[in-house]
Amino acid sequence: MLKKLGNIAALAAGLFALAAPVAAAELTGVTDTEIHIGQWGPQTGPAAPWGSVARGTGMLFQMINDAGGIHGRKIVYHMFDDQYNPAKTVAGVKELVEKAPGVFGFASGVGTSPGLAVKDYLMERGIPWVGPAAGSLHWITPPQKALFSLYPLYADEAKLLVRQLVEKEGKKKIAILHASDEYGENGHRGAVQEMQRLGLKPVAEVPVNQADRDLKSHVLLLKESGADAVLMWVNPTHAVITLKTAAALQFAPQWATSSTLSDAPLMQTISGGLWKNILFASFSELPDADTPQMKQYREAFAKYAQKGERWGVFFMAGIGFVEPMVEGLRRAGRNLTRESFIAAMETIRNYKGILGTVNFGPGQRQGAKEIFLARTDDSGTKITQLTPWAEVK
Amino acid sequence: MSALGSLPQVLFSGIAAGSVYALIALAMVTIYRTTEVLNFAQGDMAMMSTYVALALLVAGGLPFFGALLLALVFAAALGAFAEFALLRRAKEPSVLGLIIITLGLEMIVFGFASWKWGGEPRDMPIPLSPTDVVVVGGVIMSHLELATIAIAATTIAALFLFLNRSKAGLAMRAAQQNRAVARLMGIRVRRVEMGAWALAAVIGGIAGLLVGPAATVEPYMMWDPMMKGFAAAVLGGMTSLAGAALGGAIIGIVENLFGFYVSTAFKSVVPFAAILLMLAIKPSGLLARHYVKKV
Repeated sequence: MLKKLGNIAALAAGLFALAAPVAAAELTGVTDTEIHIGQWGPQTGPAAPWGSVARGTGMLFQMINDAGGIHGRKIVYHMFDDQYNPAKTVAGVKELVEKAPGVFGFASGVGTSPGLAVKDYLMERGIPWVGPAAGSLHWITPPQKALFSLYPLYADEAKLLVRQLVEKEGKKKIAILHASDEYGENGHRGAVQEMQRLGLKPVAEVPVNQADRDLKSHVLLLKESGADAVLMWVNPTHAVITLKTAAALQFAPQWATSSTLSDAPLMQTISGGLWKNILFASFSELPDADTPQMKQYREAFAKYAQKGERWGVFFMAGIGFVEPMVEGLRRAGRNLTRESFIAAMETIRNYKGILGTVNFGPGQRQGAKEIFLARTDDSGTKITQLTPWAEVK
Repeated sequence: MSALGSLPQVLFSGIAAGSVYALIALAMVTIYRTTEVLNFAQGDMAMMSTYVALALLVAGGLPFFGALLLALVFAAALGAFAEFALLRRAKEPSVLGLIIITLGLEMIVFGFASWKWGGEPRDMPIPLSPTDVVVVGGVIMSHLELATIAIAATTIAALFLFLNRSKAGLAMRAAQQNRAVARLMGIRVRRVEMGAWALAAVIGGIAGLLVGPAATVEPYMMWDPMMKGFAAAVLGGMTSLAGAALGGAIIGIVENLFGFYVSTAFKSVVPFAAILLMLAIKPSGLLARHYVKKV
């Protein structure tokens, strides 16, 4: 018996000795030939329409790899479906970080709540994270060394939308419909602040729970408030249910939405044709923009995109939020470490990809601040840019 | 309009929403009455049938009622298949084990739908418009809501007659109360159970076909109605058809009243509070008369 125990102990000690160097060595996700980069994104579940962000990033990496990679290394991309569920985001991120070869960093990643769930975990380990696909203040308050934010703040979108509604379109009674999570709250707070500045108060503030499928009481509250304009920070399905319910209840305010609902062709299709005359904020070029970069990406899309994929705002966002990361990897050179990458990212100034102009620097972690407003026409298919790219002051 | 002036509108909206919950509750009760199994895949099986209807409508180009009918045939086949291929295969099944199998089935169905049709929502065009309305006494009623209430009421009545007045319905009850004796009396219990699953899947499928057009069709479309349908079934007592219908209506009305007069943020918590309250006060539910097994 004692001998048996001794054998087990020896075996355990041997295994421990073997495992120890692996556990002690930092998993950096960089080898001689590869850079491992991760991303979460809802491929199923209520936020699935935003899942194309992660697929857009995949196309950008494929383009780069086919053009020879970055300083002799190919990007190995690890994307997983977290269903917009923070618990799943945490599990997936930990698996990528802690399992050999680890990941060098994370690109984009949809959602304020999923991102918040892993922010501290990533930052404590100094793992770079570039371009969270959510316009939250949490990424930059306070600025984090390894976190580079690109999505313009929801609060800034809210300000611009409120200014347009009040100053240009003469709306006085504005209501807010917002998801009861960090995403919705960010937009909600920004809108209320701007209204206060203009001497107004929202006529209704209606939160929507992520699980709800029946929004009649929500829309009735909006209608009862007598609102002539409604700002929305909700997910695409909730936006559709809201518009259908409002049409049934004969409630027709000016709808104004966050950039998260800026994929007008998608919204027009899934709403059964109700996405007409919608005012929205945009953080990226419009899908049919005539710039050389956009032409190049559209050509790549025709070549690389999987069957059934659609060239839309969220797919493009997956490119736009990650372009600066690629630029940072290039600038960091062959001797790539997390430190050299972060230093390289801080040198990015006046970079123009398909988002607004990007500026990082020491202590400056909100890279893109420019947005513009646009509107769908009465057919819901044609989009007109209303304001030029501009930073919201 | 004053807050009180909106009461009839809120009540009507609650009944329309509650009709869908009632259908889901009925589907769960139909299986529970026969097998004592709670089918947690009920909602996602309904989602699958809705996708089939959508595929037949849009890709297949079938007329609306043809697509609807075929989707319900598919629902019946899916229900029968689930019972035959999964539930029946369980060795020495306990009720808990079978319930866990239904959870597995839910994950399989959800995973399959997400893989086959993707996560993006889709519009389901049907002749019963969610935006065309009639106004009666100031209450706005969409064609889809009216159809939902009418279809739910008809289904409940038909199911009541079938289960309480037909031999097949009696066989279902006998199978739940005492499998061995039911078998000795010449009832083909397994076939009866398969029939219950098929029937429940059709009722659930009807709910799915009403939920889809009101919003969008997507893999998770039935999660919320399913949980509220389950709450309605518990409220009604799990074995009572009338209880399930009443439970659905109560949940629909209470959550709409709560949403409008108290808080939309916590509206979706109401059904679960109702379950807790019911289990604490009257665990057998509102209308159920539980058969007590003699030992």
